[in-house]
Amino acid sequence: MVSDEALMLEFQRGSREAFEELFARYRGPLYGFFQRRLESQERAEDLAQETFLAVIRATARYEPRALVRTYLYGIALKLVAAERRKQQNAPANQSDAEPATDDATEEALWVRQALGKLDVGEREILMLREYEQLSYSEIAELLRLPVNTVRSRLFRSRMALKGYLEPEMKSHGTVTARGATGNTEVRTAEVRPEKDEA
Amino acid sequence: MSMSKHPIAEEELMAYLDGELSLDRAATAAEHLEKCRECQNVAGDLQSVSRRLMVWQVEPSEDSRIAPSVAAALEQRGQAEEKPATRGGLSWRKVFQMPRLPRWVWSSGIAVASLAMLLFMFGVLFFSTNHSPMQYVNMDLAHKKMATQRAALPPLPESEAASTIVTKSGNNVEDGRAGGGGEHERGSSAVPAGPMIVRTAGLTLTTKEFDKARTGLEEILKRHGGYVGQLNVSAPSGSGRTLNATLRVPADQLDATMAELKKLGRVDVESQSGEEVTQQYVDLVARLANARNSEQRLTEILRHRTGELSDVLAVEVEIERVRGEIEQMEAERKNLAHQVDFATLSATLTEEYENQLQAVPVSTFTRIRNAAVDGYSTVTESVVSLVLFLFSYGPVLLLWGGLLFFSLRIIWRRLRKNAKNT
Repeated sequence: MVSDEALMLEFQRGSREAFEELFARYRGPLYGFFQRRLESQERAEDLAQETFLAVIRATARYEPRALVRTYLYGIALKLVAAERRKQQNAPANQSDAEPATDDATEEALWVRQALGKLDVGEREILMLREYEQLSYSEIAELLRLPVNTVRSRLFRSRMALKGYLEPEMKSHGTVTARGATGNTEVRTAEVRPEKDEA
Repeated sequence: MSMSKHPIAEEELMAYLDGELSLDRAATAAEHLEKCRECQNVAGDLQSVSRRLMVWQVEPSEDSRIAPSVAAALEQRGQAEEKPATRGGLSWRKVFQMPRLPRWVWSSGIAVASLAMLLFMFGVLFFSTNHSPMQYVNMDLAHKKMATQRAALPPLPESEAASTIVTKSGNNVEDGRAGGGGEHERGSSAVPAGPMIVRTAGLTLTTKEFDKARTGLEEILKRHGGYVGQLNVSAPSGSGRTLNATLRVPADQLDATMAELKKLGRVDVESQSGEEVTQQYVDLVARLANARNSEQRLTEILRHRTGELSDVLAVEVEIERVRGEIEQMEAERKNLAHQVDFATLSATLTEEYENQLQAVPVSTFTRIRNAAVDGYSTVTESVVSLVLFLFSYGPVLLLWGGLLFFSLRIIWRRLRKNAKNT
């Protein structure tokens, strides 16, 4: 299989097929990336396409020393940050946002909720590791952090998440967790999760 | 979990499970994990968290096609690739086949250029405030340049070369081709029998008895039939008097005059030079003879032939013009002959100055006051100089300093980032 980097170089030289191959490889993961971080499926779809649009516009800036994967998620992170800023500036539109997981399982909801309680920076590291399967050094490069910092924050976030998920593991039917402030929240499976804090 | 009990930290255990631990540490971790119950529990917790997270899966999007906007951008890019010259012209990087350089390389370049510029400016400022080193360098360079130019020139023919001899204190100078202009009998149309040389000489003397030396100079000049062309005497306070004189001496008397003048004091500099003007003189004489012949013929015409008044007047005008030329050339010839007959001697007489003893010592109060006044003026001058310096060089220093600062900051950040990553 041709590597992502070779495809990107071919695309830099003008190969449309190389771009289509890259699109096929990364469209799904990027959609998942946006879907997990934003409320709207539609926006996730748009932003995934927008990531590739940015790639086309800045093809010349890509340097072979960076992995294509890191390059793409770097663009995606910037797009997410811009989208969140946009949402904060237009709170009225939030109610119009389509719920992301209509048929999500109870456990998936619980996981989302637990993730929402994590520190923003730690949550991003954890999600990049678990869902996008990025290595420590790739995360460090993306977030401009030292690798050791990434490792320690990842460990902290996993331990914190274990703490948030443990009560749910013990109980069945109701979902209970201890919030960051120490207050106890009781939620049923029917309860729609609050908007992601981040 | 203490390090004394466990050879690997919890974070390392996690990195091992993620496949992010170095090989040697990974071996240690694997070995320890087999035996340690506590670490197995931690590993189980970590794996459990990862498994739980995987529960949240995102439904794949139904539409996996390239969006029209992306397709349009792709199309546009394809067209631009085909016609690179039509959009934005030729890229200089492509023309010179230069690779894309990282930002820190540009920053280093700018930093070096800024530093060089600043150093150059400081150098210029330093040398402009301390004139002497720069001047010496310039003079030295100028001398070298002149020497090179002289060496590059072809040697002058013997008849055209001007003999120049310059010696320092006391060395006798003998010009082998001395003019002896006075020996030539030069009539109005005579051609000189020997070479005609315009001689010039320079003499700088230092004497303790200035007045006596001056009188001696005048006597010597009188004895040898010379005269003073120009004479200046200056007597500045705090230094000795100086006499600058341009003397005209009969060419055949020049050597004798100089020999006597040298006895008036210590010779600092002595120089002699001669310029042969035979060719110039012969040309002038020939042109003069021709002009006289023309004048004669015109006079004959006017005397013997008759014609219309306008013709007569035209001949008169022509005669007038030729006579004007003759007079001018005659004056030139006489001047040249005079220059040959009388050598030019530039003499400088300097008095050896002796400091006078201060009869009344300056009082301490006066000295303190003078020092205070000097100090005040020095402070004022330095403040004014600083302000002037800031006004004249401030903007340019700010520009290059800023460039240097920002480029060094980029390099510094880059180095720090590299150090952290390693």
